Amino acid sequence: MLEVTELRAGYGTADVLKGVTLEVRRGEFVALLGANNAGKSTLINCLSGTLTARGGRIVFDGVDLTDYPSHRIVELGIHQVPEGRQLFAQMTVLENLLLGGVGRNAKLKKKQKLEFVFDLFPRLAERRKQVAGTLSGGEQQMVAIGRALVGDPRLLMLDEPSHGLSPLYVQIIFKAMDDLHREGLTILLVEQNLKLATAHASRCYIIERGEIALSGVGSDLVDDPRVRRAYLGL
Amino acid sequence: MDILFQSVLQGLLMGATYGIIALSMGMVFSVSGVVNFAHGDLITLSMFVAFTLYTVLGLDPYGSVVITVPVLLLLGGALYWFLIKPLAGRPVTVIQLTLGLMLIIQNVLLMVYGGEFHRVPSALENQFLFLGEGVVLRVPQLVAFGVAIVMSAALFVVLGFTDFGRCVRAVHQNPRAAALVGINVAKIQLAAFSIGMALLAVTAALLLPGTPLHPSDGLRYTLVGLLPFVLGGMSNFLGILASGLLIGIAESIGAVYISGTTGMALPYMMFAVILVFRPQGLFKGRS
Repeated sequence: MLEVTELRAGYGTADVLKGVTLEVRRGEFVALLGANNAGKSTLINCLSGTLTARGGRIVFDGVDLTDYPSHRIVELGIHQVPEGRQLFAQMTVLENLLLGGVGRNAKLKKKQKLEFVFDLFPRLAERRKQVAGTLSGGEQQMVAIGRALVGDPRLLMLDEPSHGLSPLYVQIIFKAMDDLHREGLTILLVEQNLKLATAHASRCYIIERGEIALSGVGSDLVDDPRVRRAYLGL
Repeated sequence: MDILFQSVLQGLLMGATYGIIALSMGMVFSVSGVVNFAHGDLITLSMFVAFTLYTVLGLDPYGSVVITVPVLLLLGGALYWFLIKPLAGRPVTVIQLTLGLMLIIQNVLLMVYGGEFHRVPSALENQFLFLGEGVVLRVPQLVAFGVAIVMSAALFVVLGFTDFGRCVRAVHQNPRAAALVGINVAKIQLAAFSIGMALLAVTAALLLPGTPLHPSDGLRYTLVGLLPFVLGGMSNFLGILASGLLIGIAESIGAVYISGTTGMALPYMMFAVILVFRPQGLFKGRS
């Protein structure tokens, strides 16, 4: 479904990604793991079009979107739940969710998708009139995920959704991801937390200094000494 | 007492129009972060288009909006797309650009229409409304007030309760997130900018009846828009409108009660004093 080939990207004169190749197949739950500054966010931002690649190719369902602007990538069905949630802080929960569905494809299904999100996170239904910036971190993460879901994604990408959340909310968020995956949604998760990601994702990539160092099934990777090395940079 | 009532009322009517100029600035600023110093000159430009339409076709200034609104809509769009958008992320350069634009418009108008004052007569120009003893209102001012209030209300509804309005606010609050949910940010900015310009064309028509017209008027309009725009907190649209009314009243009271130029400076003095005590504006910044 998603094929990334030899992707290079960076900021200023430095290349952060030095030729990343990876693949996400339809219906998979793939995790991209790595330490800080390994290039995880750079990669996901290339996939969302907020950063332009310097080389390589990104192909989604046969469409080469390497140079697409963000709104066209969303039109193809690739939605990102950004790091730090990036809500429209002064708008209500409902307004945030509705904004998830302004893309051309999502407009028709908006009502139905909104109900789906309220079923998945009943808390959001209770708080729909509340201003998003006043919610707790965990609730904000629910809004961020809900907002992406209203857009009717075919590939959902999440950038460190567990970051800064209490263990209870981490559990709720990961259970939601499992449920979505079981219903057939393709997920690409970017995570720093190795244990958490390998426990939920079906396949993992480990990125180290802008290159894919390892890949494999989650449970195999946990005990792999090379993983430890990639993380600690030894 | 009657004089006070008359001047407050007149200021209120005038202030609504200033409010619209300021709202148009707010609209442009909130999506693109641009403070457009050529705003008033675009009003003068639109007035001269109306003047031309009057001399050539005999059109009433109210009727000429049919043409001036689309003209400013397109002009604003082109201005944004070809001049302002390429300079995104360089706010100082954009300010220089709009200042330069101000001079260009002024001097082109001066070249084409000359330095003398012109008038664009309207059928409503010499109509008055008498309210009790001694209180007289010019009908064009009433029309201006009514249209300004209706336009503000429409703007409020559009921004508050439509997909387009939500997109405008989203781009204002978090452009990156707006792009990630699939909003074509440049398109929203273009639309908001163009609508802001179209509002100026309407404002020009509202101001024209009974107002003499000169190529150098632009700066005055920019100022009476800039004051409420800043006082209102730059992106709080209700605050901007209320500040417009306040500036209108200050101007009118200054002109009636304080003699000469000091009176005309009253709104500016009030503006300065308010900003000393509330630099963030009178109203909290909310979009």
